[in-house]
Amino acid sequence: MSRIGVFVCHCGENIARMVDVTRVAEETAKLPGVAVSVDYRYMCSDPGQNMIKEAIREHKLDGVVVAACSPQMHEPTFRAAVVEGGLNPYLCEMANIREHCSWVHTDKELATQKAIDLVRIMVEKVGKNQELFPIKVPVTKRALVIGGGIAGIQAALDIASGGHEVVLVEREPSIGGNMARLSETFPTLDCSQCILTPRMVEVDRDPRITLYTYAEVEEVGGFVGNFKVKIRQKAKSVIADLCNGCGDCWNKCPQKKIPSEFDAGLGYRTAIYVPFPQAVPNTPVIDRERCTKFLKDKCGICEKVCTLNAIDYTMEDEIIEVEVGAIVVATGYDLFSVGKDQPNEQWTGYGEYNYDAYPDVIDGIQFERLLSASGPTQGEIRRPSDGKEPKSVVFIACVGSRDPEKGLEYCSKICCMYIAKHAMLYKHKVHDGQPYVFYMDIRAGGKNYEEFVRRAIEEDGVLYIRGRVSKIYKDGEQLVVVGADTLSDSQVQVRADLVVLATAIVPHRDAYELAQKIGFGCGSQGFFSEAHPKLRPVETNTAGIYLAGACQAPKDIPDAVAQAGAAASKVQLLFSSDELEREPIIASVNEATCVHCRNCIRVCPYSAITDKEIKDKKGNLIKMVAEVNEGLCLGCGACVAACPSKSIQLAGFNDEQVFAEITALGSG
Amino acid sequence: MIEQIREKAKELLASGEVKVVIGYENGGLPETTRPVFITSPDEVDRLVWNKYCYANLATFLWRKEVSSLGKPAIVAKGCDVKAIVVLIQESQIKREDVVILGVTCTGVGDPPLSKCPICDVNTPREYDCLFGEEIPPKTDINKFADVDEFEKKSPEERWEFWEEQLSKCVKCYACRQVCPMCYCEICIADKNQPQWIETSSHTRGNYHWNLVRAWHLAGRCVDCLECERVCPVDIPLSLVNRRLAKSVKARFGYEPGYDTEAPPPFTDFKPQDPEEFIK
Ligand SMILES: Cc1cc2nc3c(=O)[nH]c(=O)nc-3n(C[C@H](O)[C@H](O)[C@H](O)COP(=O)(O)OP(=O)(O)OC[C@H]3O[C@@H](n4cnc5c(N)ncnc54)[C@H](O)[C@@H]3O)c2cc1C
Ligand code: SF4
Ligand code: SF4
Ligand code: SF4
Ligand code: SF4
Ligand code: SF4
Repeated sequence: MSRIGVFVCHCGENIARMVDVTRVAEETAKLPGVAVSVDYRYMCSDPGQNMIKEAIREHKLDGVVVAACSPQMHEPTFRAAVVEGGLNPYLCEMANIREHCSWVHTDKELATQKAIDLVRIMVEKVGKNQELFPIKVPVTKRALVIGGGIAGIQAALDIASGGHEVVLVEREPSIGGNMARLSETFPTLDCSQCILTPRMVEVDRDPRITLYTYAEVEEVGGFVGNFKVKIRQKAKSVIADLCNGCGDCWNKCPQKKIPSEFDAGLGYRTAIYVPFPQAVPNTPVIDRERCTKFLKDKCGICEKVCTLNAIDYTMEDEIIEVEVGAIVVATGYDLFSVGKDQPNEQWTGYGEYNYDAYPDVIDGIQFERLLSASGPTQGEIRRPSDGKEPKSVVFIACVGSRDPEKGLEYCSKICCMYIAKHAMLYKHKVHDGQPYVFYMDIRAGGKNYEEFVRRAIEEDGVLYIRGRVSKIYKDGEQLVVVGADTLSDSQVQVRADLVVLATAIVPHRDAYELAQKIGFGCGSQGFFSEAHPKLRPVETNTAGIYLAGACQAPKDIPDAVAQAGAAASKVQLLFSSDELEREPIIASVNEATCVHCRNCIRVCPYSAITDKEIKDKKGNLIKMVAEVNEGLCLGCGACVAACPSKSIQLAGFNDEQVFAEITALGSG
Repeated sequence: MIEQIREKAKELLASGEVKVVIGYENGGLPETTRPVFITSPDEVDRLVWNKYCYANLATFLWRKEVSSLGKPAIVAKGCDVKAIVVLIQESQIKREDVVILGVTCTGVGDPPLSKCPICDVNTPREYDCLFGEEIPPKTDINKFADVDEFEKKSPEERWEFWEEQLSKCVKCYACRQVCPMCYCEICIADKNQPQWIETSSHTRGNYHWNLVRAWHLAGRCVDCLECERVCPVDIPLSLVNRRLAKSVKARFGYEPGYDTEAPPPFTDFKPQDPEEFIK
């Protein structure tokens, strides 16, 4: 007969309010196999844990059931306590009488009955539990960082400074991300590229960082400490080892009218190009969809002018395989598309702002490019339609943000600040110009942020109008912005030479596919999900995968950098030991009864099961069976359910344990 | 036709290409046949082919007693071939390890069994040699007409019907023994640690058994009707088999037994699969 201890927690009032905990303890004390059953105000507190430890010794317990909150919360606490009491941690089970009982019921009598049932089920299970021991797996001390914006750069540099190898994968031909496109940055107005490019160069120089640009992650297998990654290096058509970035090729390329992605369509690039002069690496790539050589098999000028013979039109995509122990995802953001064509059927967009039709209605990133000294206008403010200097500019906040009717319900967080910056910088460049801002309310909750906005209004004379814009139409060379002024309760019309829309920050366009491919969670808006919004903000729910920057939520640079540093330190923590302990909750196959139907092999989401030949001494095949790789199995149990012959058991949840739970429920 | 089958069998055995030919011979009583396992070219004259060749011989392909003889050739009707296809899909046998002697068939039994009028494989879909005139597949058949009809009954009526039917089951497990898809070495019904399925043959234990049997065959049963044919108490097992087959077809657009490469639907998933059942 087992000797089981039951410990019923009040959780202050959380459980005790709806469940008669004393009665639960009294009733469950009568169950066969229960040696002691007590209740206490906070089982997770030190005195509570001590009660468990002492009871194990005093009553010579061989199993413990803690009736309290969800095992998600305190299973580690109680398992540790049980170990200190001298028992194997897997002889401790939790009955969840809080989330599954007191919090969801309104009838105290029934809730108490249910709590007794839940405890009885776990008592039956724990009687069948066996000692289990953690599995040790080695840690590959190399990290993968996906996305080379400021967040990815920071994470890579920090991990490398900790002495570990880093593989940084960036989809574009250069690292830098969106920050490289910005002019000056709030709230200090330091030049974005001036503070960013030294960090980019550091990445390039650091021997511990292997940089793959123009590359994408193709596949991720394995698990924490032991990921196997396939990277697709797209063919650059330029041999990086030979090229010295002299620029002869892109200066001579006759395809000169390709809208530049980097300049958000306001400038042009060639078919062989680097996205911007300070690009890292400084090796150009050939855009094969635009290059005459690839389209018509003519031209070939770049090959002719390259004195170093670095051009290779026959180059093919390459798959690179790397093993890493941790992954930092830093894929950043895109901007909400303003026009009528929306990628998502829930969004209707802002057709009334005529973004598609009027060249002088632009978005924030385009305005950054107009402000930038390296931009298409060398930093002079000239409007796209006719190149004239705009004397009146209207900035519109919350285009797409906080507007579930047309776009998204959330606040994009950074727009209030960059609008103030834009209006201010515009005024610094066009002294006789007048900036206007239409806004809903100003959100400037950061260090020196409110002061920055005040400066825009009070020193630079930016006119803030509180209200939404209903339409923009053309009148001669000017645009007429029609909106409400909700403070004076009137309609206003502003004549503008240029209109800048602060469009919502949205996740990178293929963020969802990436999350699926790697295997971690995405929220409904497509931003990557952290494991806990308060307590685990940089971890994902998949062990060994961390988040940094605007891929998790709209963020400004300081926040993105801070999170990247935090992610890097989590990686260092993981790499601080040579072996990882993994939970022994894994599947195993009974080879005697397995009939090799391969159901389990097909359903295992982690490819942890493979075919195994069983041979006799002479080497003749007796039969084929399935075999679980302990290192890969994550204990999801899918195979157990799929096995028709019940030949797979999950340690800690074996058939006898589950059967005991079911029959206990039926016998109540 | 039988002459050609015998000739082919003789040739295969004589050349050593196969070690055993699985076929039918005359049974002990008139209008019956029974399975026969021919291992010598001299014995091929025992083989017969007629409308009493009911048995689905595919069930012998994976049995140790037969597979230990060496590579087999098997006489198979269209419906039997569907079972072979599923066995290939489920890696119980490799396609190259069996010679399929397909026979075209217009129906077995007198009158024909209920499966035959709704059969679309009168000419087998997969074979190495074909015997008999090719018969084009029927197109205007509804395989689930009786299921549709049955579903019109109220839940209470259906419950009553099955309660009455299943109360007859004597747990002889003949349905399992004959089924080509029941290849588990130790059936869950025979496991006793823990005992998932009650062994006694009262109605509740019978429910356990019959539900598990039907569920384990969902998406796999090819409706060869063998289980129903051998059931000593005439439980209409095909009705429940095909009720599940109907759902599998509606949900996954899948019918077992037609494509050796198709992944079985219950063990195939994509991360993007809709999860509309989780709210
Ligand atoms: C108009 C505007 C003005 C702004 N002004 C300021 C300012 O003044 N001050 C401030 O603090 N912040 C400002 N911001 C915010 C700033 O841009 C972000 O905080 C910062 O860029 C976030 O960095 P990140 O690395 O997280 O993302 P990103 O900069 O978006 O970088 C992500 C990188 O990942 C790459 N990537 C994406 N998917 C993949 C993939 N699947 N595989 C490989 N690589 C991938 C992308 O190509 C990109 O290089 C502004 C933003 C806007 C829109
Ligand atoms: S599902 Fe079961 S019987 Fe089939 S191969 Fe896997 S362990 Fe063996
Ligand atoms: S429990 Fe089974 S299906 Fe799940 S990961 Fe382990 S082996 Fe794969
Ligand atoms: S189901 Fe088709 S192949 Fe099978 S016996 Fe009937 S008619 Fe012949
Ligand atoms: S369940 Fe019956 S009809 Fe279906 S394959 Fe098995 S024996 Fe044939
Ligand atoms: S053959 Fe009929 S009686 Fe026998 S176990 Fe199957 S259903 Fe029951």
